[in-house]
Amino acid sequence: MSARIELRGVSKTFGVTEALAPITFDVAEGEIVTLLGPSGCGKTTLLRLVAGLAEPTAGEISIGGDTPQQARRHKHIGFVPQSPALLPWRTVEANAELLLDINRRASPASPTTSVAELLDEVGLGDFRSAYPHELSGGMQQRVGLVRAFALDAQLLLMDEPFAALDEMTRTDMRHILSRLCEQLGTTVIFVTHSIAEAVFLSDRVAVMSARPGRLVEDKTIPLRHPRLPELEDTDDFFHLTTSLRASLRNGMNR
Amino acid sequence: MSSSARRIVAPVFGIIVFGLCWEVFVRIFDIRRFVLLPPSAIISEFADSPSFYWENALTTGRHMMIGLSIALVLAIGAGAVMASSRFIEEAAQPVLVLILVTPWVAYITSVVLWLDGGDPSIIFMVSFTSFPVFTFGVVGGMKSADPAARELLASVDARPWEVLWRLRLPSALPSIFTTARFAMGLGLAAAYFSEGSALTTAGLGAIGRRAVSFNNAEVLWTTIVSAALLGIAGLTVISIAERYLLKWHASQRS
Repeated sequence: MSARIELRGVSKTFGVTEALAPITFDVAEGEIVTLLGPSGCGKTTLLRLVAGLAEPTAGEISIGGDTPQQARRHKHIGFVPQSPALLPWRTVEANAELLLDINRRASPASPTTSVAELLDEVGLGDFRSAYPHELSGGMQQRVGLVRAFALDAQLLLMDEPFAALDEMTRTDMRHILSRLCEQLGTTVIFVTHSIAEAVFLSDRVAVMSARPGRLVEDKTIPLRHPRLPELEDTDDFFHLTTSLRASLRNGMNR
Repeated sequence: MSSSARRIVAPVFGIIVFGLCWEVFVRIFDIRRFVLLPPSAIISEFADSPSFYWENALTTGRHMMIGLSIALVLAIGAGAVMASSRFIEEAAQPVLVLILVTPWVAYITSVVLWLDGGDPSIIFMVSFTSFPVFTFGVVGGMKSADPAARELLASVDARPWEVLWRLRLPSALPSIFTTARFAMGLGLAAAYFSEGSALTTAGLGAIGRRAVSFNNAEVLWTTIVSAALLGIAGLTVISIAERYLLKWHASQRS
């Protein structure tokens, strides 16, 4: 299940600070789009607006024809915050089921993939009864991914979910995420600082300028699916990361 | 010595040494019996009529537990409202501070007159004195709930009661257990003193007050020690409940 996302002239101002200049932007069904930009450029603000966690100062957002608030009410949005945000008193399995337990009437009657299957898929099948403090940072973030995918949501919003992980774990995580997205065909908006992450995961990368954030480049990533870990060693991958680095540098100077 | 054996032997050793010092101190300085009775005399008095002290300790324990339970339930309700509204929190704080700092022994006679003495006035005093302590603990604990987890629950349109039950209340548990120890001391003091003032004949406070009137140092000091043992029993119950309910918390892990 996936959704088309449309943003029309969406802007956000905090007091006298303009965080986001008007942005018009579409994400097609099943597409993975990464927002890439310097710190403080409004990537997270944009993601929170799409999630319905904040109101835009101007403009409109549509998620498969619904407003973000309606999509939130119907649990059409799976949100993955920067920290895993696991509840320490719940086991891995209970944490993965957390969002299904909340606002139960809107939970899927028969999810495409069960929590148990998802935990197996990300290699946590043997850790169902473990508590978060017994897991590594990467394992905790994998639980966060399962928690979001378990919702069977039309749209996944990910706010730098791998930012706090070491490089090796981070690479593993993007491979896991890519595999899950390929399987489930979910629409994804992904926020990151990592150019390699953006290239590996995305169908498109939206490069944002420094504050007030605006889209300075919308770059298609013409790499074939499924994307396997070996892709990161290819010339195409290297050229795309180099080109995106240049775009990001331009964006920072605008 | 194993750590579990040490946990039992060390406190017992400490109490025995303290008791011996107390006994020697009273005998060497020939302290008047009403000012400080030696432990041997207290043990002898208790051994003469154990059921008398046991039954009155149960009465005091019942007053204390009912009063503290009422205070805790009310504090959770008040704390939930205060934690969700900065205005209400700021409006309620001076009232709670006022209750906390006003010497309750000064107005206990008014409470006894208002509630016609007996159990209601004792339980009211226990609840009233411990309510602010519990409330501060509940508010602090609820406000410490992980902001990322709060946002996560908001992303699926969690109802306020779901946020309270699934996130805020479990987050407040460590703080509630910490404040419960202070509240236990306050509640025990309030129960003991109120029983002595509430025109009742049962409870350690009531027999302690009569002992003062009849200049009976043995009974007075045995009620004091019985009340102290009651407090230790209460703290033990809190520690056991804490170990069971907070097994996920860092404070309970070695």
